[in-house]
Formats: sequence, C-alpha cells, structure tokens
Amino acid sequence: MADQAPLPAEKVVGPVSAPDDVLRVEHIAKRFGPVTALRDLNLHLRKGEVLGLLGDNGSGKSTLMKIICGFQKQDSGNMFLHGEPYEPKSVDDARTKGIDTVYQDLALIDELSVYHNLALRRESVHRPIPLLANREMKRRAREALDEIGINIPRIDVAVARLSGGQRQAIAVARTVNSNADILLLDEPLAAMGAKEGAMILDLVARLKAEGRVSIIMILHNYVHVLEACDRVSMIQDGVIALDKPTGETSVEELTEIVVNEYRRARIEAHLPASGA
Amino acid sequence: MASTAAGGTAPSTPAKQQGDPENSRRGSLPSGHELLERALALREGSIIVVTLVTALYFGLNTGSFFSTGNFKTLLPYFAPFAIMGAGVVFVMILGEIDLSIGATYLFAPFLYYKLAHAGFPLVPSVIVALLACMVVGFINGFFTAVVGISSFVATLGMLFTLEGLTLIISHGQPVATPGAEVTSTTVKVPHVVNGVHIELTETVNHVSTFAKVFGAGTYSELIWAIVIVIVLQILLTFTRWGLYTVAVGSNKLGAAEAGVAVKLVMIRNFMMCSVLGGFVGILEAVRASSVQPDTAGANEILFEAISAAVIGGTLMAGGSGTVVGAFIGALFLGILHDGLILKGVNADYLLFYLGLAIILAMTINVYVQRARRGISRG
Repeated sequence: MADQAPLPAEKVVGPVSAPDDVLRVEHIAKRFGPVTALRDLNLHLRKGEVLGLLGDNGSGKSTLMKIICGFQKQDSGNMFLHGEPYEPKSVDDARTKGIDTVYQDLALIDELSVYHNLALRRESVHRPIPLLANREMKRRAREALDEIGINIPRIDVAVARLSGGQRQAIAVARTVNSNADILLLDEPLAAMGAKEGAMILDLVARLKAEGRVSIIMILHNYVHVLEACDRVSMIQDGVIALDKPTGETSVEELTEIVVNEYRRARIEAHLPASGA
Repeated sequence: MASTAAGGTAPSTPAKQQGDPENSRRGSLPSGHELLERALALREGSIIVVTLVTALYFGLNTGSFFSTGNFKTLLPYFAPFAIMGAGVVFVMILGEIDLSIGATYLFAPFLYYKLAHAGFPLVPSVIVALLACMVVGFINGFFTAVVGISSFVATLGMLFTLEGLTLIISHGQPVATPGAEVTSTTVKVPHVVNGVHIELTETVNHVSTFAKVFGAGTYSELIWAIVIVIVLQILLTFTRWGLYTVAVGSNKLGAAEAGVAVKLVMIRNFMMCSVLGGFVGILEAVRASSVQPDTAGANEILFEAISAAVIGGTLMAGGSGTVVGAFIGALFLGILHDGLILKGVNADYLLFYLGLAIILAMTINVYVQRARRGISRG
C-alpha cells in the first residue's frame, strides 16, 4: 500500500470555452433542499464533439443533464447556446432549440406501443381533424430503428414487453432521430448487453463522423469513454474535477482520481472537522 | 363503431397488440384455448361476456326482459352512468380519482335553476351551469396536479364543499326544473261507437323541445350517451389528448421528461369529468322534471359512475381503460338493476348483488390483465 497523500485534482474553477463552442455552461449551481447537487459547474461543448461526462453516483451528472435539457432549472449560473443566452423554459422549448435527451430512466411509456413511444411529442396527425396518423408514425418508427441498426421485430407491441436493451435502443432512437444538433445521453449503455452496447457506440461514432451533432454522454465504463469520446469531464462534489482530451488521459489516471476521491472521503469521515 | 375504435381494426388497439404475441406459429390455426385467451385479452372482453350472460339469464327467467317497454325502463338505469363513466375513465387512466362528480351532478341543476329562474334563457343557463362545472374540474385538477394534494383528498374536499353549496343555494328545498314543465291539454278525439260518431275528451301531456333534447325525451339520454361515448373513445384512442392521458397515467415522470405537459393533461381531464357529471345532473333533473337536494343520492350516483368505469376494465392504478368499457360496465349495472327488479328482488338484495358483481368483475379483470401482460413470460 503506497502511503501517498491524495492528489488534488485539477479543478475547473472558471468558465471554459473554445472558439467553436455550441454550448457553454457557466457557474451553474443547484440545490435540492439540504443537498447540493451542483456547486459551481463550468463546462463547454464544441461543435461535432463527443464529451464524456464521468462522476460518482450522486455527483450531479444527471442533474446537469436535466438542467441543460430544460427539465429542471438551475438556482444560479448561465448557459449559452451558439453564443446566445440559453434559458430553456421546458423540455419542449429545449427541443425546439435543438437539444434532445436520452434520460437515465428512458422516459418510455410502458402502456404505449413502440411507435407511439418513438413519436411521443412529435406525433404525426391528419389534417384538418388532428387524429393520429398511426401509419405515418409506424413508417417513421421503422425508419428510425433501421437507421440505428437495432432490430425490434414488432413496433406495434407495448414497450412493456421488450427487453431492457431494446427499450434502451428505442429511447436512443427517439433522441437520435429528433433532428437535434446537441444530444444528451444519460447512460445510454446502462441496460445493454455487449452486442447492443457496441451498436450504440457504433452509432455514436457514425454520428461523430457525420459531424452534424455534438454529444454529451454520461458513461461509467472508462474503456467506453476512451473509445467513444473526444474529451472527458469528471464531476466531483458538484464541480468539474478534470477536463482533458481523451488522448491525454488514460484508464489509470481516471481510476486514480476516483480512488483519491474515495480516500479523501474516508479520511474526512474518520477525522471530522479537525481544522488545521 | 365505438367498439371498433376500442379494439378492432385500429393499429394501436389492444386487440392487435395482444393477438399471439410471439407470432411464431402463423400458419397453424389457433386452438379454442388461444381464441378464448385472445377474447379475454381484449380490454372489454370479460365484461362483454358477463353482460351477455346476465342479459340472457334475465331474458330466460323473466317474461318481459327482452321487450321494448323494458328497454325503455332500462335506459335511465344505465345511460347517465355511461356518460359519467366516460369522464371518470379519463381521470382514472391518469391514476387519479374524482369523488366530487356526484356533488357536481347535484350542484349543476340547482345552478341551472337559479339562472333560469333569474330570467336567463334555458340553453344559456345550461351552458353557464356547465362552465361552472368546468371551474369545479379546474379546481380539482389544480389542487391535484399543481398543489400536489392527492386527488382522493382534493375531490373529497370538493364533494363536501359543493354539496354544502348546493344545500345553501337550494335552502334544502326541491325545485321544479325550469323548461321541463309538463303541460296537459284536453283534446276531443273522434270515436265511432255502434255506428255513432262521438267525441271523447282525452288528456295529452306535452313537454317542450328543450326538455325532449335535454333528458325528457325517451331516447334523449341514450342518444347523448352514445354520441359522447363515441366522441370520447375517439379522443382517447386517436388523438394526442388520449395518447398523453395514457402516457401520464402510465409513467408521469417519463411523460414529463418526454415533454408532455403533465399538469395541463391532468387539469383538462378533471375539467371534462366534472362537466359530464354536471351535464348528467341537468339531464336527470329535466327527465324527472324536479330535483331534490339529496346529497346521499348524489353520492350513490358517484359510486355507480366509478363502478361503471371499473367494471368496464379501467384500472385504478392508471394507464389503462376505455370509454366503451365504461359504457358496457354501465349497461351491465343497468341490466342488473332492471333484471333484479323484474324478478321482484327487493332493494336490499339489489345492493348486495351489485357489490358481489363489482368484486367478481374486478377479480376477472386482474386475471385478464395477467393474461395480457404475462402470456409471453415463458
């Protein structure tokens, strides 16, 4: 056991930016009652980039995603979309501005069919009487699923009947197919087997190659992060504790930061408020 | 037409979804067991069977069950609950409940009376009374969706408030329903008796066209019920309104994350439910041509409307239910009422059987739901 003092990680304390940013997040803070989810978070996303977001459970990753996608509102701090101030009023509002999300809980409706889930809030309707155009929605659903290369045998069954991986694929297909130019993926591989997971990572790589969309992706597996992402940001204690291109970091470095975090947490737990 | 919307050819319907989920034996004919399973898998399947059997039982055991006269007797036992049940379904699919519809049912005709009595024309009085019901529904929805009180408590409070308000404005006195007055005229009818032409006087009762449309016509309530059920079943199955209702009831958080305006969806369903409750109250007041401030009776109406929805396959837990199911549920209750009366069963037994029937129907529903979900569990 190396008797090594915990290394302070290189924290991002101020706003960061690059000339080709599509999204900038500055000084975001969010509390839920006594719990501070985000303290002073600064983050940027460049055009065409895939940013991997890491962090311990409860570190605020999902909260950040929900603030960016308009589901929750920050207590303080600002966001900028394509250089303009960005204050989403709702999920719909964020979506019309080009930001769409795969939630950790997938936001699927068990009782509805696959194609109704894929079309939720983007339904096709007839004119002039706005009845649902189910045939059109089925066709679009089929296209969307074919495009991401996931095989769902029947799209008129309720999603409750599908496997975890299939459900995940539907949630990803819904978002990828939304014409958004910024995608937020909160653990898109969580419920997937290796084969399905590889398909999603291939899809991300394909989207990256097309260069049309920019992606923030929450992942837990460091190998996936290094494989799929251009850059990695790690959240600790509600701030960004590390921000590096994936080429300049390694599984070892990422692991070490987390290990140090645990070590520090343990020391703090054993020596409460000892002062100087 | 309505039942097609619920479970026949529509692509999103349970019938198609449930038909042989594994789909691997396309070539072979389905066995009897499979056919039974499919019929039961229809959301309304079980209650249709139960209703038919009940009707057949009374048809065989009473002389007059399948007569036109009895059909007319049957109507008031089920048409009002079919209409109210339609509104209840929209609230219950959300996973909520509206306990105040009986109170709304009682309140609306008294408000209508006050307005018409004050000199308002009849139809505008109906409309204003229904707008007031809409406000009642808005308040129910607001306290449930925005304030976050459980709908059980919020609408329970509304039940007492509204029944109290009804007693206050009515001073506890029954009133004659405006526009529903029965006028009698004496006419001389020519007869030929033993080759002699004579004229005999007969009394003929008239009600106004207004009254005939709003409940007093023999088939008025039935026509309203059928039209409302068809329109609302289409709303539920083939529009965004219905899609979002199911979405909110099945997964409230997920629906919100997907961008569904959950509060709006909830509030407008509560509003619709209250309007239908009030509308039935006015129909019944016109049909009876007077209305009593009877709060106990109003609450019985509430429970029958909810029973219709529940018997018709709507789940208390939300996410699932059909308007057509509630219609059939109401028909079942009506047949049970009417048939037991024809058989000379006294009122005490009536409630007893009704209670057993509801428990039985719910038990069947639980098993049907398991069949719908779990056949493919393997």
